[in-house]
Amino acid sequence: MISRMSRRGFLQLCAAASALHPSLARAQAPRKGGTLRVGFYIEAATMDPHLSGSKIDRQIYHNIYEPLVTLDVKLGIKPGLAESWQQPDPKTLVFKLRQGVKFHDGTDFTAEAAKFNFVRMKTETKSVRKGELANVDSVDVVDPFTLRLNLKKPDAALLATLTDRAGMMVSPKVVQERGGELERNARGAGTGPFEFVEWVKDDHILLKRNDGYWSRQGGPYLDRVRYRPIPDDTVKLQSLQAGEIDVMDYVQPRDVAAVKADKNVVVLDVPSLADFAYQLNHTRPPFSVKALRQAVAYGLDLEQIVKGVWLNVGVPANGPIPPTSWAYDKSIPFIKRDLARAKAKLGEAGKPGGFSFTMTTNNLPINVQEAEVMQAQLAEAGISMKIKLVDGATLISEGNAKSFEMISYQWSGRPDPDGNVYQFFKTSPGTSLNWSGISNAQLDALLDRTREVSSPAERKKLYSEVTKILQDELPMVFIVHPIEPKAFSPRVQGYEAIPDGMMRFKDVWLRSS
Amino acid sequence: MAQVVLKRLLATIPVLLLVTAGVFALLHLTPGDPIDAMMAESVDATVKESLRRELGLDRPLPVQYAAWMARLLRGDLGRSIRNGEPVVDNVGRRIRPSLQLAAMAMTVSLLIAFPLGIVSAVRRNRAPDRVGTTFALFGICMPNFLLALLLIFLFGVTLRWLPISGYTDPLEDLVDGLRSLALPAITLGLALAAVVTRTLRSSMLETLAEDYVRTARAKGLSEARVVRRHVLRNALIPVVTVLGLQLGTLVGGAVITEYVFALPGVGRLVVDAVFARDYPLVQGVVLLIALAFIVCNLVVDVLYGWIDPRIR
Repeated sequence: MISRMSRRGFLQLCAAASALHPSLARAQAPRKGGTLRVGFYIEAATMDPHLSGSKIDRQIYHNIYEPLVTLDVKLGIKPGLAESWQQPDPKTLVFKLRQGVKFHDGTDFTAEAAKFNFVRMKTETKSVRKGELANVDSVDVVDPFTLRLNLKKPDAALLATLTDRAGMMVSPKVVQERGGELERNARGAGTGPFEFVEWVKDDHILLKRNDGYWSRQGGPYLDRVRYRPIPDDTVKLQSLQAGEIDVMDYVQPRDVAAVKADKNVVVLDVPSLADFAYQLNHTRPPFSVKALRQAVAYGLDLEQIVKGVWLNVGVPANGPIPPTSWAYDKSIPFIKRDLARAKAKLGEAGKPGGFSFTMTTNNLPINVQEAEVMQAQLAEAGISMKIKLVDGATLISEGNAKSFEMISYQWSGRPDPDGNVYQFFKTSPGTSLNWSGISNAQLDALLDRTREVSSPAERKKLYSEVTKILQDELPMVFIVHPIEPKAFSPRVQGYEAIPDGMMRFKDVWLRSS
Repeated sequence: MAQVVLKRLLATIPVLLLVTAGVFALLHLTPGDPIDAMMAESVDATVKESLRRELGLDRPLPVQYAAWMARLLRGDLGRSIRNGEPVVDNVGRRIRPSLQLAAMAMTVSLLIAFPLGIVSAVRRNRAPDRVGTTFALFGICMPNFLLALLLIFLFGVTLRWLPISGYTDPLEDLVDGLRSLALPAITLGLALAAVVTRTLRSSMLETLAEDYVRTARAKGLSEARVVRRHVLRNALIPVVTVLGLQLGTLVGGAVITEYVFALPGVGRLVVDAVFARDYPLVQGVVLLIALAFIVCNLVVDVLYGWIDPRIR
């Protein structure tokens, strides 16, 4: 699997990852107790899910807080704090809430509490959730355990949005009594399988088991979960090999082969929702000319990039939707390299001798390697690509200002395809993730349709059409859907890999070694 | 002496002004924006704008600098944009591991450098000198991050004697604390020891050739006494200069070592703050690091006078 991975192989992998990893689910009775030590690459930013804009925070939230609905291993939506839901009409969403759930501070979770959360997310000045809930017009408490969301317009992606931070419920009492402090101290705030204990900045975050957890099935088993930031990848890996930590969030492609050979470490390939791509600026030359965008796309050899740079820890991308998604259309091939066609496109654009452009990318090892390979590939097509290396903050500001020609874009992905598509390609004046500046009436109409129809089969068809238009118009050149391998000590049992990459430790336990 | 110190302190004011203005200008001229960096995946422009307004980032640069200065004169370094906590608290948390690491690294380097430097000079061009100069060359050439990874591999992964990464406060748990700082202190200490060994050796060689050393020997003093009383003391000035300069670097500039060993020190704080474009935090930390350098230099100057009364 390391040496070569076909799309079929990847899909099989997705299926395999949906079942429990064999070595992580031995037939042995789960055992209570122990501290799970987790290594992360950076420090968390805030403990308040409504104010959080950083991916790492979510890793911790999914153990302290619970959303109304959650994801299963195939990215289907299953009950969370809501037992069931109904959609009486496309603009109404009614949740039946679970009874007998208590926040860690002892207060009850009710429809009133849920309404409080939605109002806070929509009105709090520092709330980062406003965009995600933009289509929610108002929230009604129907009875103590029934909540109704009234939408401004149909939004087929909303339910999937509520599986993450926008659906996470925080104790109203904690917000009212120590709202400002919640960013640093989440004691009592969640309903999840683990309770927040302490956060010693730059050192660790400690959680303990919630013995009053509402579900009697499975865990939580662990006494404690301890998160530690270890910024250097090599050192983090060595810490795992030496037994100083039990879990690490991400293994770099360059380390995967070595780690898989190590008997003291169990590696789990978790297919992600992410895509690594490049946005092409439609608003200025050279990529205001469609034929030149196409020339670049035909000049690139995705298979070679995925093999040489990503060491096959990922698959070539045919578009923004990852193979883990139900909306992925495997009948659409990724754009194959075709130098003759690339040269023809150059001729069509009136540049038979080629042209040159600048590509802006993040100054990280894997980005630099990828850029160098692309540079060599494009040179063979007669296109000269200059590489400009910048840091993350500069990259974002150049993207927002559209002051680039081609720029790297790495998206962590969202469970619903909408999150990987709509905001990137819908005509949007001002600042948005549509850095390429594409504005295409046909695409806009299709994108709006994807939100209005609710049948997944119909949405999938629409997304296939979108993908085909994107392959022709090329606001973005998609390279790879990476796999995000996680590594564990062999003691760690019962981990279930959900493709959103979030590590939920409810059913995890430690084998006595 | 008090007058000298006072004069030196007054002379630091323009230095600090220049440092803060320079850092402020550089930071704001660098592309990137703290709010965008913080909310990379959010598209909500109105939220970002209101945050910018709240933090005063929409005002002209000179106004922002003046406002920062005005607060500084009242003793307020402002708050970090990223975590909303006072800059002083952020630094306060990070300064302790940095100081402890600096102290331990200094100790390691002195324990190695003094015996080695003295022996190298006294036994010039003989076996001990060869060992000393070889070590010094190795220490100077070896990049920090490589040495750190090698030490981790040997003592952490293979032998499992010491923890690989992380920090325990020695004031809370002495043994675990010293163990957690041992590898980073050796990493920094070896490089520093190499520099100090070479400085001490050459400075001692120079002194050994002085007339008063010959006189001391002629008086019939034992060689040990000559070296200790007449040579070493007179050879110390360049060594103290090097140590003073390096101490500042150890406190504020041990970025790579802190990064590799996951130590929550000041160096990593300022680098992370630069990447996040956390303007108040960068300015505050740089100001404090500049102050640390100034204090170190001042201490060095005072030590000169103590070592060599002629300088007073």
